[in-house]
This record gives sequence, C-alpha cells and structure tokens, in this order.
Amino acid sequence: MSRIYLITWHLPNNIKNTFHNVRHRTLQKVSLCTSSSSSSDDDTKLQKKVEEKKKSKEALDKLNKLLLTMTEDDVSSKTKLNLAQPTNKRQKKLREKQDFKESKATPTETLVNAANNVAESIGGDVKQTQSELLMKLLNVANGDATVNTNLKDLVKGMKIDQESAQGAGLSKAQQVRQILQEQSKAPRRKGDMAKPRSKSAKSPKRDVVVEKISLFGSEPLGIFSPNQNDLTEGVVNKTWNHLYDKDLKLAVTHPPSNYFQQMILWTEQKKIWKFPIDNEQGLEEEKKVYFTDHVFLEKHLEPWCPLKGPIRHFMELVCVGLSKNPYLTVEAKKEHVLWFREYFKDKLELLQETGAIQETDLGKLHADQKQSEH
Amino acid sequence: MMNISKTLLRRGLPQANITSNILLSTATIDDKIEIPKRIPRGPTDILRALESTVGRDPTAAHYKYHDDPYLIPLSSSGKRIFAMAQEAGRKAAHWVRQEHADLFQHREADPVIEAFVPPMVYTEESEVAVADLEKLIEMRQVVDSAVVYRVLKEKNVEVAQELEQGLLELLCYQNCEDGVSEEFVEERWFRQASKGKEFVKKTWKDGDLAEQIFSKMTPKTPESYCAIIQGMSKYRQMDSAVQLFEEAQKSNIPLNTNTYNSLIQSVNMIKENFDMRWSLLADFLTQMKNSNLKPNLGTLNAILYALSFMGNPKRAKEYVLQTLAEFKNLGIEPSLGSWYYVILTFCKERGPVSTILHDIINHLEDKEHQIRDLKDTHFFVTAMEMARHHLNDVALARRIDKLLNYGDNYNLIGDSYKESVYFRHYFALLCDNLPLEEFMNDVYFKLVPHIYVPEVGIMAEVLNQVDVNGAVEYIPKLWSDLIVFDQSHRENLVDCILNTMVNNEQLVTPELTESFAKIAWDIYSRSINEEEGRVHRLNLTGDLLGKILILLVRQKDFEKACKVMDRLDKNQQTIAGVPKIEALALFVDLCIEEKVPSRGIDCIQYCTDCGFPEANSLAVRLHKELNLDEVFLERLTKVVGDVFSTS
Repeated sequence: MSRIYLITWHLPNNIKNTFHNVRHRTLQKVSLCTSSSSSSDDDTKLQKKVEEKKKSKEALDKLNKLLLTMTEDDVSSKTKLNLAQPTNKRQKKLREKQDFKESKATPTETLVNAANNVAESIGGDVKQTQSELLMKLLNVANGDATVNTNLKDLVKGMKIDQESAQGAGLSKAQQVRQILQEQSKAPRRKGDMAKPRSKSAKSPKRDVVVEKISLFGSEPLGIFSPNQNDLTEGVVNKTWNHLYDKDLKLAVTHPPSNYFQQMILWTEQKKIWKFPIDNEQGLEEEKKVYFTDHVFLEKHLEPWCPLKGPIRHFMELVCVGLSKNPYLTVEAKKEHVLWFREYFKDKLELLQETGAIQETDLGKLHADQKQSEH
Repeated sequence: MMNISKTLLRRGLPQANITSNILLSTATIDDKIEIPKRIPRGPTDILRALESTVGRDPTAAHYKYHDDPYLIPLSSSGKRIFAMAQEAGRKAAHWVRQEHADLFQHREADPVIEAFVPPMVYTEESEVAVADLEKLIEMRQVVDSAVVYRVLKEKNVEVAQELEQGLLELLCYQNCEDGVSEEFVEERWFRQASKGKEFVKKTWKDGDLAEQIFSKMTPKTPESYCAIIQGMSKYRQMDSAVQLFEEAQKSNIPLNTNTYNSLIQSVNMIKENFDMRWSLLADFLTQMKNSNLKPNLGTLNAILYALSFMGNPKRAKEYVLQTLAEFKNLGIEPSLGSWYYVILTFCKERGPVSTILHDIINHLEDKEHQIRDLKDTHFFVTAMEMARHHLNDVALARRIDKLLNYGDNYNLIGDSYKESVYFRHYFALLCDNLPLEEFMNDVYFKLVPHIYVPEVGIMAEVLNQVDVNGAVEYIPKLWSDLIVFDQSHRENLVDCILNTMVNNEQLVTPELTESFAKIAWDIYSRSINEEEGRVHRLNLTGDLLGKILILLVRQKDFEKACKVMDRLDKNQQTIAGVPKIEALALFVDLCIEEKVPSRGIDCIQYCTDCGFPEANSLAVRLHKELNLDEVFLERLTKVVGDVFSTS
C-alpha cells in the first residue's frame, strides 16, 4: 500500500519527464522543419504549413475542450467536498466513499482518448507518444483516486488557451512550446477563488479501515507464571544501575526553557543554595555547636579575669564583640579570649604598677594558669 | 455517621434543623480535627511549582536565545550555531579553569562548591588513595579512575573487592571511555550521536581494562559476570558475551535479570533466521524462569526490540501481542519505548497498513508519562512519522501532539534532532491535508519560526500548496521567512515562489503587484550581491530572470526592468537558459509604452540572438506603435532583416 502511495507521490515528475522526452523529440523535428522552410519560400510548402496548422489547431481545440471539461468537473467535485466542518469520522468516511464513487464515473476510455489527442496534437510518432502516455497513466491507475490526482497534475502542468485565435498566428513550434514549456496558466475564475480552497483532490486518501487491535487481549506466551511471588531480579549491579538511572535522568534533562528551570538545573548540579534558603546550609561542623556557645563568652573570663576594673571592662567588651562575629568558630573565639589572658599575664608588672589589677585578683590569674597547665 | 450529619448540615436550613438536634450531639463527640500529614518537600519542589506556571510562548524565542534581542537567531542553523557558541564559551571557561588551576584556589563560598573547584589531574606519578578511586567512580570519570586504579595496583595498595566491582561496572557501562559531561546540556541536546546505526556495529574495546580486571578477579563473582556480559552485549561483542554466558552456566553462576535482558536484546546478532532467533529468545526466558528470576520492564523491551527486526513480520506481530499480554499478567506496564518497538514491528514500510497506532494512542492518551527506558524518547518522533507516512491521518497526528503537550510529556521528545523530525512530519502532514488558510493561521504562524523552522523540502511543499491554491497573499510573508531562514539562495524555492507570483496574475491586487515587484527585485539584487565569497549562492537562470522581468514589467518599473534586461543581454554566455518569449514581449510592450525604442531594439536583438522566431513580429509591433525614425528603423532592420515592407 505504501508502495503505491510512493509511486503516486512521484508521479507528476514521471509524467513531466515523459513530456520532456516527447518535447525533445518534437523540438528536434520542428527545428529541422524551420531550417528547411527558411531556406526556401515555396508556395507548396506554405500551403502545407497552413494545412498543418489547421489540422493541429483542430486537434488542439479538441484537446483544450476536453481538458477544460475535465478541470470543470474537477472543480465541481471539489466544491462539493469542501465544506469546512468539524471532523466527524463517520461523515468523513462517508464523504470518502462518495468521492470514491464519483471518481469511478470517469471511464478509462476518456483517458485513452485524451492521451490520443495529446499525442496527435504534439505530432511526431503519434502511436509511440500515446502508448508512452498511457503507460504512465494506466500503470498506476489502480486506485481511481490516484488517477484523478494524476490528471489534475497533468492538467496543471499544461497551458489551456481559451482564445482559439491565439493559436492561429503561431507556428507549430510555438504551439508545442506553449503547451509544454509553459507553466500552468490554468484559468481560475474570480468566483472560484473567493471560496475556500480545498485540497481533498490533492493528497491521495486511502480508505484505511481502523480495525481495533486489542493490545493486551492475546493469548499470553505462557512462560512465566504470574502468581509466583518468591522471584527476585538476581544479584544487583549497584554502579551499573546507578549509571543507568543517571542516564535516564539526563535523557529528559533539556536546555532550560525559563529561569526556574535554569535554577532547578543549577540546584541539581549543586551550584546554588537549595530551597528552603537557609544560611547555615552545608555548615555541618557548626551544626554541632549550640548558639549560646557563640554568644555567651563571659564564662571563659570567669576563671582568670578580675571581677571589676578596667581589664574586666575591656574583656567584657571583647566578649561582646566576639559574640557578634559570625565568621569565627567557637574555638577561635575561645582562643581569642585566652590570648588576652596571656597578654595580660606578660604585662602583669606594669598593670600592677598602674593599679589596673588589684592584689586580690592576682592569685586568680596565676591559679588558673596552674590549672590550665595541669 | 459523621459524614451524613455534615452533609445534612450543609443543606438547606429547615431540613437540617429537624435532624441536627438529634445528630449534633453525636457529631460533636466524633469530630476530631485531623491535621494533615506533613509532605516532605525536596530542594527543587518550590522551583518546580513556580516553573509549572510558566508555559511555552510560541511567539517568543527560546530562553537561551534572548540575552540580546538583536542577536536572536531564527534559522535552524543560526539557532544551532548560537547555542553551540554559548556552549563553546562554557567549555573555554572549563579549559581555563583546568589549565590554570592555581588561579582558582580561593574559597569564595563556605562551604566550598565542588562544581566550581578545578578538577584534579591524575597522572602516573600522582599520590592517590583508595578514597580517590571511590570518588571518581561516583563522579563517572572513567579515564581518571582507570589511571588511579593502575597507580594503586602499582603501589600494591589493596582495593576492596566491592570497589573493584564498581570500577568494572563503570568500565563496562562506558566501554572504557568518558561520555559527554553532564555539564554540557546544550551539547547533548544538539548532538546527533551516531544515530540509528550504533546498534549494528561492534564497538566493544577488546582486551581493554574492563576485560583485564575481569580476568584477574578471583574468585569471579556473579556480579562481575553480570557486568561484563551486559557491557559486551551493550557494545555488541556478542561472541565473547555468549562465551562468558555459557561459562557462567557451566560453573553454575547465577545471573541477574538485566543480564538476560541484554542477551535477549541481541538474539538477532547471535542467530540467523526468525525461527532460530525466536527459539533462542524463548530459551533465555525459560532459563530465567527456571532460575527464579523476575522479569522486568527491561525484559519486555528487550523482547519487543528483538522482535522489531527479527524478520517474518506476520509472526512477529503475533508474538508482540502475546508478549504484551504475558507482561500485563505479570503486572508490568509497558513504557513508551515498548510502544515504539510495537509501532516499528506493526508499521513496516513495505508491509500492510496497520492501525495499531490508534489503539496505542487510545491507551496512552491523557496521561503523563515518565521516562522508564532510554528508548522512551523515540516514541513521539516515530509515532508522528507513522501518522504521516503510514496512515496519513491528521486526527491521529493531532492526538499525538496533544499527548506530547500533556503535562511534562514534552520532556520525552528526546533531543533537537528528534524534535525537528517530529515537527517536520507533523508540519508536512497538516500542510498536505488542511485547507491552506487553516494551516497557515493555526499551524504555520504558530510554530514558525520559534518552535520549528521548516526545512527546504517542507518549505517547498508549503510554497507548492500556496501555488496550487493561488493564495498569493501569503507570498510576501513567505519570502521574508525564506530570507530569515537563510533559504533564499535555494534555487528550487526561488523558482517556486517566482512561478507562483507569475502564474497567478488574475488574483493579484495592485498592492501585491507592487510587493511582488519588490520581491523580484530583491531576488535579483541578492543574486548579484552575493556573488563574491559565498559558498551557496543563487544562480539565476535565464528563465528565472525572465520571470523577474515579468514581475517588474507588471509594476511598470521600467528602470529596474532595464537593468534585468541588460544583465540578460550582457551575460548571455554565463546565464544558463533563456527567458520565455512572453517576458521579452512584455518588456517590448513596456518600451513602447515608455516610448524608448532603443531599449526595445536591444531586446529584439536579444530575441534574435536567442533564436526566437517571434522577434520579427515584435519588431513589427515596435515599428507600428512608435513610428520609428530612420536611425532606429535602420538598426531594427539590421537586427531582424527587412520585415517592414511587407507589413
């Protein structure tokens, strides 16, 4: 079926080719003719020429009439089909059937006649041309619908001159050229064009019967039994399965088509923070530390710091500052505080002289140091 | 009980009043507030929810293109070049990062974003640990993990069996090669990977690291057999795969379902004709059953794949339906990939027409489908192809398209290549079967150019339809599209469009005549200006130039017509073919109208040069209409001889 379809598809070309062949031959002949006629101006030749013209003109008229009626038929059937309607399958099928019947009414004889006329009007080896044409036409005329198409395309490729007067003044070569060389100037009346254009005749419609195939209705193969529950898929190839799953995912990952998709992609590639936004994301180490350890740092002062005085005051300020610093870990903060302890210890003498440290506090500083040394 | 009372209460008041007294007491006791369970949300769920509110706007360019409105590409090659250029930029950045890793050691973010850190470079001298290998396998770095593995072996570091197995599986899966990085989404989208043909050729690397690891493994585990057999059948080294399979059978090593699947998939390469292939396939299935293996979707798809080109289509179809029924009984729902194989089996190009696609679409319609098999992405393009070539059914094509656009199904389109083939078929089918107005308004203007750019063949089809229907009003739009799509140098398209413009003279309004003349002049000037440098340039034949001449003459644009005529006249040697005499006659008429006999005489000279016998009558006409003076008459006589005395 599809094979036939293919052939019909290419058919216009085939026919064109035939025409080209025919045209080629006739043109050769014509050129011979003209060269001989130009060399001599014999009366007899002129007469002959006139006769020839007359004859060919008759044939041409006949052909044109025929072709005209055919196109007219075509148009009428077209308009009949061309009701823009919501697609209704049953109706469509019905219509297709009608179409089928109508096109069947065109008898094959018309074809033969048409081919004959064409061949005659072209001249040359009439029989051969005719048989060539018919072969092209009838070879594929298995479905009537296709014949319809072919004829239409055939007609389309030719010029139909309605004014017969035009043909009179032209030489045979010109007529041939007009018929064959020219692209279709097939008359389109204005009235026709206003109507919606139909295509039903153009594409070959095949009457495909939609038969229901029950997808799951067949007899099963009967190899596996559905009620066996103790089955497994065997040993697991972990990495293999992982790779396959990843491939599946990649197969549906396409270039993002909006910014949200872009963000999804970036999130999956771990390039941006994931929702819900949490500014402690990924700070796994910090999660283990409670926030009070960050904020209340005075407990690190208790063991050594004087209870009052400028050093206490200074160190409390240090603690406030550190408690507000989000960039340091608790360890670092503690280190910071203890650094000051060492510092003050080094400057002990000076501090005592200035009275920043009372005697009572002294023991504390030392005791704590001993403690920490232990 | 509670439900009843509630519904009653919600109804009209008088009714409720009667019953409420009785029922309220019970209702208040039973009424518990049920707190809905918390739904765990993933990190991208909120983005997906937002994303679902943004649809595809067919009038806008794709997201990746609208960085700069001036540069939005419209032709298909332009789109590809644009996207690949972007990708090349990304690759360049990757390269710089790798080459100058020392410049990227700063840590902007805390915690560090792994994706932005330069990749480690592993060589034979690198200090490596087992942990590196583990990470590389996880990250799918095939070549690097092979290097690390070798280094570890040289240093006699013990690699755990499980890790070795993981490496073996990676090597088998990737055939010892690195794939395209998942970073490069665009490249994967536009890549036309050795499509279609890959399943025929053996690409397995014999004797590479995978086989070496396998042969050194002692004892050989079932997992390792499974991995190597799957790898070999994936890359079509069937001889060795079958050999290993038999080896495993002999030493009673149990294999898993996936391994059987990979063997089933390759029965067509192992055996020669349909009967032997099918019996081998059935053998495999029986062995699976005997070793208590549970078939899965992969098994179904493997069978269907094998059947799709096993030969003997008639019996293959029967077996396909039987297989589907069998797996239905087992509770395995076919994926889109399964249906793809079913279509392949039923709708053979040379076989009878099958309408199974209708049944499949009935089954799939109005559902969202997930990817479950790698071949799932082949479904839509093949279904559309069959709707066009096999069934030529517009309604079915529309249903397929509807299914594609249902939910997130569009993700299953595959890649850019499949997408464009899909639209090519859809477009061509609609173009052939819809009335032209409907096609242009509902399909063409909607899909073109942002979703689909018609290929040359499809464009020719559209132009042909316009010609057949005489719908000349679309010509200016189509011509500008041809320019935008970079198809204006295609001779067949130019020929088509010129024909349409010339042939439909009766339908043309004055405005159209003007724009047609403009188009014709545009075609002409393009062919002149393009002459240097371009590889594809339009070669105007004499015939085409004649048509351009006709269109210009219709618009009475004498000046431009003269230029075209000059070109015809001066380049007789280089221009192939000659214009039709009608074009030249029209030009002479215009010369008469404009009263410029010298031009007319030039044209008649050209006619005689080309051997048109009509030159004489043209000369007579020119003389008659313009009453030529001595000088012109002499020139004309030189051209055509003395034809005036007789007339």
